Amino acid sequence: MLDKMMEFSEFVTKFHFDGHPIGTAPHEVIFRQNKSCVRYFEPVERKAQPLFVSMPLINKWAVFDLLPNKSVVKALVDAGIPVYLLDWGTPKDEDAAVGMEELCDSVLHRALDRSRRHARQRWDTDVFDALGYCVGGTVLAAYCGLYPDSFRRVALLAAPIDFRHAGRLGTWADPETFPVDRIIDNFGNFPAELMGTSFVWLKPSTTPAKWKGLWERFEDPKFRETWSAVEAWNSDNIDFWGEAYRSYIKNCYFANSFFADGWPIGARKADLRKVQSPLHVFAADHDHICPPDAAFGAKDVWGGAVECTLLKGGHVGICLSSRLTDALTKWALAPEA
Amino acid sequence: MSETPDFMKMSQQIYDQWEKGMSAWWDQVLENPAFLSALGENVANQSRMRGAYAKAVDENLSKMHLPTRGDLVRVARIATLLEEKVLQVEDHLLNIQDTLSRIEKEAITARIDAAETRIELRERLAQLEARLEGLEGGAAPRRTSRAKKEA
Repeated sequence: MLDKMMEFSEFVTKFHFDGHPIGTAPHEVIFRQNKSCVRYFEPVERKAQPLFVSMPLINKWAVFDLLPNKSVVKALVDAGIPVYLLDWGTPKDEDAAVGMEELCDSVLHRALDRSRRHARQRWDTDVFDALGYCVGGTVLAAYCGLYPDSFRRVALLAAPIDFRHAGRLGTWADPETFPVDRIIDNFGNFPAELMGTSFVWLKPSTTPAKWKGLWERFEDPKFRETWSAVEAWNSDNIDFWGEAYRSYIKNCYFANSFFADGWPIGARKADLRKVQSPLHVFAADHDHICPPDAAFGAKDVWGGAVECTLLKGGHVGICLSSRLTDALTKWALAPEA
Repeated sequence: MSETPDFMKMSQQIYDQWEKGMSAWWDQVLENPAFLSALGENVANQSRMRGAYAKAVDENLSKMHLPTRGDLVRVARIATLLEEKVLQVEDHLLNIQDTLSRIEKEAITARIDAAETRIELRERLAQLEARLEGLEGGAAPRRTSRAKKEA
């Protein structure tokens, strides 16, 4: 017992949140724009349509590639799916003016265009399926509302669409109490520290539970490795593009625009009712960032057919689970209905 | 003789009780409108302070004839917008390349089609000539179109 305590204390003292290598699956960057880029993961043999992945804008993309044996991208690539992953990058002070219009019409649109061109040359196809995770999924859905014929099929993973069911984040993001204008006007981008702190306070019991979990399974090197990878990623929040965040909070959390006449982006409205591509919604039963009802709400507003799957896990933990990779692979490999 | 108490089990139970109580307490606090209102006000004040501080630093640097954070941000933003312009040009070039490839492909297809049609016509003509010769039989030696041309 004393030995374990000594070892535990040494591990905790020496642990560096940024010292764990994550995002190591082999890939190539095929396009860059400002801080964003498209990371291409190539399969040995193509067995499905290429998949365009929109990652969250609040964390680094490596949540899909934390460890070689717990990597969503690696599982997809091993199944024969070419993956084009849009890494939104880390906005700096000069990007505070970047709004949803620039993110959708310029960054995402061009990233998809270059991915299509690459796939046409490499795989002789430019028909894409799409997957969006967390807020990256919400932005992907908005993009589909603006460009309804962009994808053959779409999957959203833990992506809030119906913000009436946004849980505690929805309670906090109240126009009366949440000073989003004041924050963006003075900080520029939404600060990573504030984002990180709000996630910690979203469920305060998770912090002691995290350390308790480590103590209980400390002897298991695999668990320690996974714990370290998750912590390395989790402690590395990034700023949220300023004007895009203002629009996201006002139109999604305050106004639930997808359920009104669409999210106003520039002069247009992202109306999900226009999208006819089939949609598959994946949600996690213990997700307190995007509760299942917030994700499944898409079925009431999406123009095409919608299927919903509830998986066991939390918002981040789900990315480490083979249940997710199995479900995603099955979805991606399924022939078009 | 009494059993030795299992301290691990006891501490686990204490922890579970503490966690339960703490979660319930925090749930009440974090959903309390008065708390959220005060928290919002606090964040708004911090934001105002941060803005005022940034403005003061910029003013001081400006007085010293040094580039301010605002200046650097403006320059970096201009660089980003220039990159956007370059990418728009790249978009146009790629679209032109697409159009040229399509035209080239269509031209090649058209040439192949024309050549195939010519061959088909020639074959058809030869068949017709052969048929005509057959119909005329040996009545009179018929001048073929080629012979006529040669004449």
